[in-house]
Amino acid sequence: MTQVCLLKTAVFLPLLGALLIPFISKISVQTRNLFALTLGILTFTASLMLMPHVLGGMTITYNIPFPLGFNFTLTADMLSVFMALISSFVSSIILFYSIGYMAHYENQTEYYAMVVLFLGSMMGIVYSTNLIWMYVFWEITAVCSWRLVGFFRAENDILKANKTILVTVFGALCMLLGFVMIYSGKGTLDLSILRGETISLLAAFLILAGILAKSSTLPFSTWLPDAGVAPSTVTALLHAAVLVKIGVYAYARIFGTSVTVEPVFAQTVLIIAGLSAIISAGAALVETNIKRLIAYSTISQLGFIFLGLASGNNVAFIGALIYILTHSVAKGGLFLIAGILEQKTHPKDITKRGGLLKTMPITAISFILCALSIMAIPPLGGFFGKFLVFAGAIQNGNPWIIAMFMFAAILTVLYLLRLFYLVFLGEAKEHPPKEGSPTMLISVAMLALISLLLGALIYYPMFYTEALSLKLGVFLQ
Amino acid sequence: MTISLLAYLLIPLFSAVLIQFVSRNKENLADIIGNITLFAGLLNISYLIFNPVNFKLSFSNIAQDGFTLLMIFMIYLVAFSVSLFSTGFLTKEKNRHHFHSLILVSVSAMCGIVTAGDFFTLYIFVEALAVASFALIAFDDNEKGIEAAIKYFLLTFPASIFILLGMAILLFTTSTFNFAGLQNIVAGGYLSSPIMSGVILILLGFLIKSGVFPFHTWVLDAYQGAYSPVSAFLAGTITKIAGVYAVIKIAMIFKFFDLKLYKISETLMFIGAASILFGAIAAMRQKDFKRMLAYSSISQIGYIIIACGLATPLAILGAIFHMFNHAAFKTVLFLNGASLEKSLNTTNMEKMGGLEHSMPWTSWSSVIALMSTAGIPPLSGFWSKLLIIVALWEGGAKGYSVTAIGAGIITLAYFMVMQRKVFFGKITDAAKKAEEMPALMLAPVMILCAVIIMSGILFPYCYNYLIETITRTIL
Repeated sequence: MTQVCLLKTAVFLPLLGALLIPFISKISVQTRNLFALTLGILTFTASLMLMPHVLGGMTITYNIPFPLGFNFTLTADMLSVFMALISSFVSSIILFYSIGYMAHYENQTEYYAMVVLFLGSMMGIVYSTNLIWMYVFWEITAVCSWRLVGFFRAENDILKANKTILVTVFGALCMLLGFVMIYSGKGTLDLSILRGETISLLAAFLILAGILAKSSTLPFSTWLPDAGVAPSTVTALLHAAVLVKIGVYAYARIFGTSVTVEPVFAQTVLIIAGLSAIISAGAALVETNIKRLIAYSTISQLGFIFLGLASGNNVAFIGALIYILTHSVAKGGLFLIAGILEQKTHPKDITKRGGLLKTMPITAISFILCALSIMAIPPLGGFFGKFLVFAGAIQNGNPWIIAMFMFAAILTVLYLLRLFYLVFLGEAKEHPPKEGSPTMLISVAMLALISLLLGALIYYPMFYTEALSLKLGVFLQ
Repeated sequence: MTISLLAYLLIPLFSAVLIQFVSRNKENLADIIGNITLFAGLLNISYLIFNPVNFKLSFSNIAQDGFTLLMIFMIYLVAFSVSLFSTGFLTKEKNRHHFHSLILVSVSAMCGIVTAGDFFTLYIFVEALAVASFALIAFDDNEKGIEAAIKYFLLTFPASIFILLGMAILLFTTSTFNFAGLQNIVAGGYLSSPIMSGVILILLGFLIKSGVFPFHTWVLDAYQGAYSPVSAFLAGTITKIAGVYAVIKIAMIFKFFDLKLYKISETLMFIGAASILFGAIAAMRQKDFKRMLAYSSISQIGYIIIACGLATPLAILGAIFHMFNHAAFKTVLFLNGASLEKSLNTTNMEKMGGLEHSMPWTSWSSVIALMSTAGIPPLSGFWSKLLIIVALWEGGAKGYSVTAIGAGIITLAYFMVMQRKVFFGKITDAAKKAEEMPALMLAPVMILCAVIIMSGILFPYCYNYLIETITRTIL
């Protein structure tokens, strides 16, 4: 296949495939599940096959002209392929896990269609270089998350789903206003033309509002813990593979590799990120619902990613990208484990659990590996991400901000250890449950193993992201 | 009047008369004649607009005014959908031949309005349309229908006086009603304040007919009280053609913003913005499905009026495109409202819930239509709103641009509330017994949904059509 063809496959295959799922489900349930999984794996493969080409420094472009300069332009470069690989890989694992996990719920067809559509629009965001198309796919993901969070149809679920879409769309509309400002000022929304341009502070802050709403950072963070009412696979998808990563990706794409803004912007981002990291880590420390706890942890960790992206030097930028990778894998793992726990042991309250290490050893070991990666304990993958982010931030950072993040990092260790202690150690407080189904265990064990391997093989992603930031980064020191 | 398009006006009129004679005792014949007439017209106009050759020749083969053609397409599309839907909806005891005759007469009157070349002809057809729609609203001869019809008549009656007065002044000062003649006067820069006072009176009349914010009271009762398929027809085309079309036309001729008529421009934009916000906020509090949609209509018309106030070429294109999109999505929503009414015997949203299982097609088509209303890409509503927003921003009306964007979130909010009550959420007793509509009634809804999706995805085609045919001839 030609490279352009691969690029088109990576975007259009999941988008169009998702629309076919309702029809395929008429054949049989197994066919539908396999079809969805195949779509996920093929999307991953297409991006993987693009990697050798972009590694040579090539960019692959596919363009459909649209009036008024709203061209539909897909571009594969190192950053987009990197993000696409992470998202499609974690999504594929989640689809595999879903086969076991979702088997006895209603509305499964809608679920699979929405997950694949979500993946497709994520690919759209990642590969689009025109901001207006980024916005188009951005809104499609909002619709998908609305349906997925409201998967169970109780009153509360639907309220939370509405909250999710309203918060993220509110952010997106602010972002659209920012885009309109750029458009009327520069006459284009094509990032390859905008590269190196300086945009106004107001436009930058409006776009930031969209990014923060999607990435669930202060002051838009409340929807993410609430979205925990969805099935665990959905939350894993939202936290690890697609939704919140959209925001950090957009930040890296727009402010990291395309346009520049006055330095006061980056300073503000750092303060917001720092506050977000500390406050949500504090919330995680006292939370007793396992899914809400991990959700707060995500909000906190996203702060670290913003720290890396906004610090404005190469080391921190590389660190942030590594962080995205390791966090996706580990957080995906944690949520899938929470899914197993939810299915096997009923109370959501972690204080009413305990002693699961004996009966669920594989789950417990996977959990501790993922948790250690997020805590950034060497030699797991997460360590390198957090280390590089701090190393870069210290070079030209405000000591107070660094101190804030250091404190948040300590809190991370505390709340994850508390979670592990309460759930897996201590006395069993209920009838000891058995391990989850094989597909579910394979998925979580795989994610845990990858977290471990990422530590050992950190050379490869480091090499890739270093080349990426040297080639694409703008105004990084 | 454009002679070459006369057939679109005369054929439905002929069928309307024919039905009265032929199908007095054979009600099915009325269905067949009505639908076939409209379907044939729809095919004909589609061939004119969507011929692939057009795109190759960049629309230079279309001699007629592109705005008129698009409006005729819209009228036939909505009328055919409503007529086909009603074939399944009408109960046995209703007078089918009267219903179809009235639909055809209003189609004919609307085609008259959009092909008119001067204000006088336009006014005549607007009044003819008002009579036909008066009868249509009262078709369901219960108290509510009659009340709605009388309100519609009385509250839009002042509009006619304003329009007549305005035309009289125009006749005295310029001795012409002709659009082309007026355009020459504008181009020559002979605008005096008496001419403008005439224009303002006409504009005021048509604003009342479009049902924007301070003049909206008749819209609510008319849409809610009318016979359900008629509500769809009213919201989809009748009010648009009888009111909004003329406002756009006036904005095209007297480019308020360019001509430094800032006060009119400001006032129109203010009315538009007020409509957007008022309609959207009021819609959030509604319990009745049709009344909520009526408020939503007021809000969406606001976008068109705001663009007319600015009246730059891009804004006008956005307004025309939004009018077309609004016809598509609002008709879907009102027809689905009629389906809900038929299967649940109520339009009260509190009594609905969880209909996604019993009525999946109705539910998902409503989701698509509401997404388009709220401007979620890549559906068509997004593009037309984007055009308007970009035009407002570039025209310097930044505050209005922000209002137009910000209202998107309120629109989404009231539809989310509606979805929670109606389609998703807990299944109520009434919803358990609900049944999906037969294919005949779903078909028009599906066609319109396809139009919503396709005109979003084929935005380059739509945009080129608008810019090539409309800017060339008028702007």
